[in-house]
Amino acid sequence: MRLDFEFMQETFLLVWSGAGTTLSLTALVLLVSIPLGFYLAAVRLHSGLIISSAVRGYVSFVRGTPIILQILLVYSLLPSLLNAAAQAAGLSVNIFDLIEPFWYAAVVFTLNTTALLTEVFRSSLTAIPKGQLEAGLTCGMSAFKTYLHIIVPQALAVALPGLCNATVNLVKGTSLAFLMTVKDIMAVGKIAASYGYNYLEAYLDVFLVYLILCTIIQLGYAVLEARLSTFRAKL
Amino acid sequence: MLMSIRNVKKNFHHTQVLKDVSLNVKKGDVVAIIGPSGSGKTTFLRCLSFLEQADGGEMDFNGRTLSLASASKKEIAAVRKQTAFVFQNYNLFANKTALENVTVGLVSGHGMARDKAKKVALAALQKVGMADRADYYPAHLSGGQQQRVAIARAIAASPDVILFDEPTSALDPELVSEVLQVMKELAQEGTTMIVVTHEMKFAREAATHVVFMADGVVVEEGRAEEIFTAPKEERTRRFLQYILPEEYAAAVLI
Ligand SMILES: Nc1ncnc2c1ncn2[C@@H]1O[C@H](COP(=O)(O)OP(=O)(O)O)[C@@H](O)[C@H]1O
Ligand SMILES: [Mg+2]
Repeated sequence: MRLDFEFMQETFLLVWSGAGTTLSLTALVLLVSIPLGFYLAAVRLHSGLIISSAVRGYVSFVRGTPIILQILLVYSLLPSLLNAAAQAAGLSVNIFDLIEPFWYAAVVFTLNTTALLTEVFRSSLTAIPKGQLEAGLTCGMSAFKTYLHIIVPQALAVALPGLCNATVNLVKGTSLAFLMTVKDIMAVGKIAASYGYNYLEAYLDVFLVYLILCTIIQLGYAVLEARLSTFRAKL
Repeated sequence: MLMSIRNVKKNFHHTQVLKDVSLNVKKGDVVAIIGPSGSGKTTFLRCLSFLEQADGGEMDFNGRTLSLASASKKEIAAVRKQTAFVFQNYNLFANKTALENVTVGLVSGHGMARDKAKKVALAALQKVGMADRADYYPAHLSGGQQQRVAIARAIAASPDVILFDEPTSALDPELVSEVLQVMKELAQEGTTMIVVTHEMKFAREAATHVVFMADGVVVEEGRAEEIFTAPKEERTRRFLQYILPEEYAAAVLI
């Protein structure tokens, strides 16, 4: 068996054109999931039984079901629901044309990543000693200000490895977005392959692109972690 | 009277940790609270800054009377701004430098302008001999240094009373004196302080008033000399004998 290197080179460049979609999907999802996850983690820790159980239920639902099922569920349910809602509201728009599959993918992955990050932030918030809050209060700061200046920055430093994990999983996970006809790295690779049946070459290209992206992301987090944790470093 | 605390009660689950504790503090007083461990000393201090909600009791403070069991958020915030707390394990903000540990409360808690806060904070650090470590993070300071920064943080906002909860018990023995030295200076300058301590020498030399607590009640209180040389209660005598065997034997012989 021989690899068609010329095809592989061309496709390698082509596959990078999907990286934009993959990365913007990832960035958009993180932008919503990080603050939301932090908020839900705080809610889970400090709210009454009902609300914190609701958050817990959401987290275990997401963790306990395969993501591919979540994708299929949202992709077959959400457009019809939205369409029905639009018609009920008397809008004469076709939701199926109006909303790009990209946005459905963003919804699924946001729901998914938010749940994972809620757990990451919950454990990092519990890792911050209670004395930090008490010190803030006795210095005349409100609980909110103490969270803002003291507890969240410390929890974020603790959460970085988990956050890195979630980001890398998200980048890799978005490869399933091709199921929703989103043109990400994976989809571009598959389409290229199907022209000449050069599946192996195309998949190797996709493989390489993900490997490079994830390596860069992990290096980025390592730098960030070193910067955000200067206060913890031993001299 | 600067602070008059009456009938503080506190239960944890079904144990009564504070049974009926009262205390009067005049401006410039240094009150030392001594007593065996588990007697409720920490809980008492924590109730005064509302880190623990008392089940009963009230406090006159700065001309205002408030309930320790049901003070409003506003009242709690006001008390916390007029008092300061020094913790046994320092509780410095781990992500802030020594200087920022002092400024963050001044700026975000007391609404002081940033450059003024920095000046005030540097002066406070100077006072505890930590100005040269202003840019160090707590993780890079010894226990004694951390506690001195914590004291700087406490005095910076010029509180009316500073509460100390065994400020030297977490320290290695050789670091205790640097912290006690700072506290003695504060005492000499007329800072009003309530100090829970096991350092009998400090209590004897610096306190204007000594309170002996056991099992959630004040067993005996009085001037330091009275308590240490002529305790009236058997319970106090036994405690001092246990904690100061040699000195106590000598004192009794005199
Ligand atoms: N948060 C808490 N929950 C349950 N029991 C507590 C709590 N804090 C203190 N206690 C109990 O209250 C009693 C008094 O504790 P404390 O005020 O720390 O005493 P001291 O400072 O005099 O050693 C102890 O028996 C302790 O176990
Ligand atoms: Mg104690």
